[in-house]
Amino acid sequence: MNILNVKNLCKTYGRGATQVNALKDVSFTLDKGEFTAVVGESGSGKSTLLNCIGGLDNPTSGKIYLAGEDLFDMNENKRTIFRRQNIGFVFQSFQLVSELTVEQNIIFPVLLDYRKPDKDELEEMLEVLGLTDRRYHLPGQLSGGQQQRVAIGRALITKPMLVLADEPTGNLDSKNSQDVMDLLYRASRHYQQTVLMITHNMNLTACVDRVLHVADGVLSDFGGART
Amino acid sequence: MMKRYLDLVPISARVRKRQSRMTRICIILAVSLVTVIFGMADMEVQSQKLGALQTDGGWHAMFSSIDEEQAALISARPQVKNSSWYGVTNYRLDIEYSIDGIQTAICGFDEEFMEMFPAARLIEGSFPTGTDEVALMASAKERLNLQIGDSIQLSTPDCKDITFTIAGFTEDTSLLTKADALGIIMNIATYSKYILKDSQSENLAYYVEFSPYCRIRPILTDIREQLNLSEKQVQENIKLLGLMGQSDDSYIFSLYRSAAILMVLVVIAGVLMIAGSLNSNVVQRTQFFGMLRCLGASKKQIIRVVRLEALNWCKTAIPIGIIVGTFVIWVLCELLKVLSPGYFESLPALGISLPGIFAGVCVGIVTVLLSALSPAKRAARVSPLTAVSGNVDSEQLAKKEAKTRFLRVETALGIHHAISSKKNFILMVGSFAFSIILFLSFTPAVDFLNHAIRPLRPYTPDISIVSADNTCSVSAQLLKQLEENPAVKRLYGRKFAYKVPATVNGQQVVVNLISYEKYQFAWAKEELLEGDIEDGKSGSGVLTVYDAASPLQLGSALTLNLGTGEQQLTVAGVLSNSPFSPVEGEEIVICSEEMFRQFTGETGYTILDIQLNRDTANAEVADIRELAGENVTFSDRRMQNAEARGAYYSFAVFIYGFLAVIALIAVFNIINSIGMSVSARLKQYGAMRAIGMSNRQAIRMIKAETFTYILFGVIVGGVIGLTINKLLFEKMVTMKWGTPWYVPLVSISIIVLVTALSSIAAVYYPAKRIRKLSIVDTIVEY
Repeated sequence: MNILNVKNLCKTYGRGATQVNALKDVSFTLDKGEFTAVVGESGSGKSTLLNCIGGLDNPTSGKIYLAGEDLFDMNENKRTIFRRQNIGFVFQSFQLVSELTVEQNIIFPVLLDYRKPDKDELEEMLEVLGLTDRRYHLPGQLSGGQQQRVAIGRALITKPMLVLADEPTGNLDSKNSQDVMDLLYRASRHYQQTVLMITHNMNLTACVDRVLHVADGVLSDFGGART
Repeated sequence: MMKRYLDLVPISARVRKRQSRMTRICIILAVSLVTVIFGMADMEVQSQKLGALQTDGGWHAMFSSIDEEQAALISARPQVKNSSWYGVTNYRLDIEYSIDGIQTAICGFDEEFMEMFPAARLIEGSFPTGTDEVALMASAKERLNLQIGDSIQLSTPDCKDITFTIAGFTEDTSLLTKADALGIIMNIATYSKYILKDSQSENLAYYVEFSPYCRIRPILTDIREQLNLSEKQVQENIKLLGLMGQSDDSYIFSLYRSAAILMVLVVIAGVLMIAGSLNSNVVQRTQFFGMLRCLGASKKQIIRVVRLEALNWCKTAIPIGIIVGTFVIWVLCELLKVLSPGYFESLPALGISLPGIFAGVCVGIVTVLLSALSPAKRAARVSPLTAVSGNVDSEQLAKKEAKTRFLRVETALGIHHAISSKKNFILMVGSFAFSIILFLSFTPAVDFLNHAIRPLRPYTPDISIVSADNTCSVSAQLLKQLEENPAVKRLYGRKFAYKVPATVNGQQVVVNLISYEKYQFAWAKEELLEGDIEDGKSGSGVLTVYDAASPLQLGSALTLNLGTGEQQLTVAGVLSNSPFSPVEGEEIVICSEEMFRQFTGETGYTILDIQLNRDTANAEVADIRELAGENVTFSDRRMQNAEARGAYYSFAVFIYGFLAVIALIAVFNIINSIGMSVSARLKQYGAMRAIGMSNRQAIRMIKAETFTYILFGVIVGGVIGLTINKLLFEKMVTMKWGTPWYVPLVSISIIVLVTALSSIAAVYYPAKRIRKLSIVDTIVEY
């Protein structure tokens, strides 16, 4: 089933002589539960693509449909709420709220929605993340790998349709990187969530369903990595 | 080409112009405030000087009981600019000198004295140099219909008439116009010939004005020793010397001392403001300093960079601050001129206050250097690792978690942002509370002002027409005629019946019965302690003035024994104060005109008070005088009123100006601090927005943070401010006038309102920033 549909996406920065075409007419679709990696050189347009799909950045032209909804047809407030409920983010630099504990950070998007977090779901999440005994720690008291696991927990707690991960292992050693990959893989398989991940590390593409390559703003589909 | 490492400062400043904008605004504000404070003090001194020149003259020292030879020795000194003999006779109007039956004071001096006494300025003709010539004060010209060259006759106490020719006319003095007397001026030779003999050398003295910029006191000591004069023989013009800064007992020193204290307070407020903004500037650039350290910059070099950055801002901020401050002074000067035209006429229109500018520059530099101390050290402490690892320094990491259980998560986070760092919380609350404390500490000065310099009461007349023998001899007909005069704004008469025997509860008393009309009853309402004014107005009762020893109280039955028989009255109201001075053993009873007429049969008035329209010409006043006739005392108080109003306004502008300045500090401080706090956390807000926090929620978070600071600031500031307020009030007001301390509700409301409005304004810009925030830019690692 088609979850994400990107149509003729273009993103241009600057004007005249300084104009940069970060994305040039990018189109692709992702299915439910599909785990996809986006690879490419630095400055090729990977992050721009991810930011546009996540609704953080406005494309210059083109459309993005998530579960049939046009992301940029909504006003800013509606888009924020839609993002909160349907898209999970994982960043290279974790971006945890430093004054919230592990547990509070994970349930933060639920609290922003003024909903009561489900206790069992939280316990399960902590268990899966291996953070049960660290639940009352602040981010400053955790290692990089643990912090990234919290960030993944936060991205998954609302059971989003789409999980976007921008170099999630960029700041981690190989052991922690593997843990993070396992978690994302599990999300796509166990919870049938669509995962789109940017990475530099070609080794990490071994466990994904599909690899997209971006070069100079042009996207090409390398097809399935697993196959 | 960069020649040294400090060249980095202007380059980086150009790039970060927007970031340092708020800091520069803070410096401009502090500099302009101090310029205004000192400029206002300077202006106050200038206007006091003008006032002193008008009332006391521009002489510096007066030598009495010296002979011609000694006077010649004094005037021969190189430091003496002007000197003259001066004599005055009948100054108190208690000797029978008169012209045309009008009391006259006589002054004798040489032309040089005019230089020292601007109030005696000639407005027409020339100084009387001939033996039989005199100059008259201007009011005499219209009153007696005189011209230059006319003759007048001065009647002396020994019933002689001396004839003089009029050589010129001079300005009036307020003292003589109020007393409705004339003043004549003659040269010292004429004075010695005709007057001095008659009044036994009364008050003949030698007045001296020294050259500017010479030290007067040592010269006076020298003269005293040289001429063997006693302390009593040499009198200084203390007020003027004080204003020139040449006296120990000096008004100017206390004024500049208070300006200096205010300056220190502004410096503290300025340091709090600027240090806060510099600090957050440094925090935002932690990685930049880490990079510098990484490249090999020593801690000292980092401190130098931060200090130079701060000083560089002064280059533009100080001149702007001084220009703004000077402009504010000009506006205030114009305001004073509008409020009290006569008194402040000679204030410089676009004056430059050198003490103000000097203080502004000093404060700007000192504040910036002091403010840069802690941020510079903080920047120097940044570890070189910061640049490599990308980790912000440990101070930014949270040590305590936010309590999200009971409040909405964004509100809880906002409150947590405010209180999580103790140091920041104390600084923020402290700086907010400081303005409130400053404001409340300064408000007793307003009470002091209202006690020390009485503003004109609403019932103060410009002109009074008083019965010559204190009976009801001013006719009601005159009142009717005056009512039709277009120059008259308000007219109100009083009838007096003095020392009327009466009984209160069987006790014999003496009563002064006074009648009021509608205006006076309306003004009395403000003074009513108990009872009802309306009863007095309608004639169903009378009013009295509170006196602890008086047998008259609310409801007392009073029996008046008038010539026409006994009259029964009831006291219907008690006033706290009245325009009449209390006389021991005499009760004041106020009734309606109708009642007064019924009791006494009198239709006339004892006194008619007139308030004139603005811009009433002297000719119109002369018409009123003519209408009043010769059988009354005509008291023209316009000059005296203008002087009183002027003194009040100049002090009021100073006090209210400073209160406004404090409020302004509060406004900027709050807006600045909140802005800085938001800037410091912008990255975090970006991250929260990325994971789904809406704009509205982010703004609510900032609101919660702001509200927390304000709440604690108001509580702390209120408690400390009120304590100081009470202390100062008791020292300044209660000890001197006995008025008990009261909770300054109006002042509290004003400063709390200012604080609340500023906090709303403070949230406005960050909210705008958040709405425009690019999530991508804020979360990208630099």
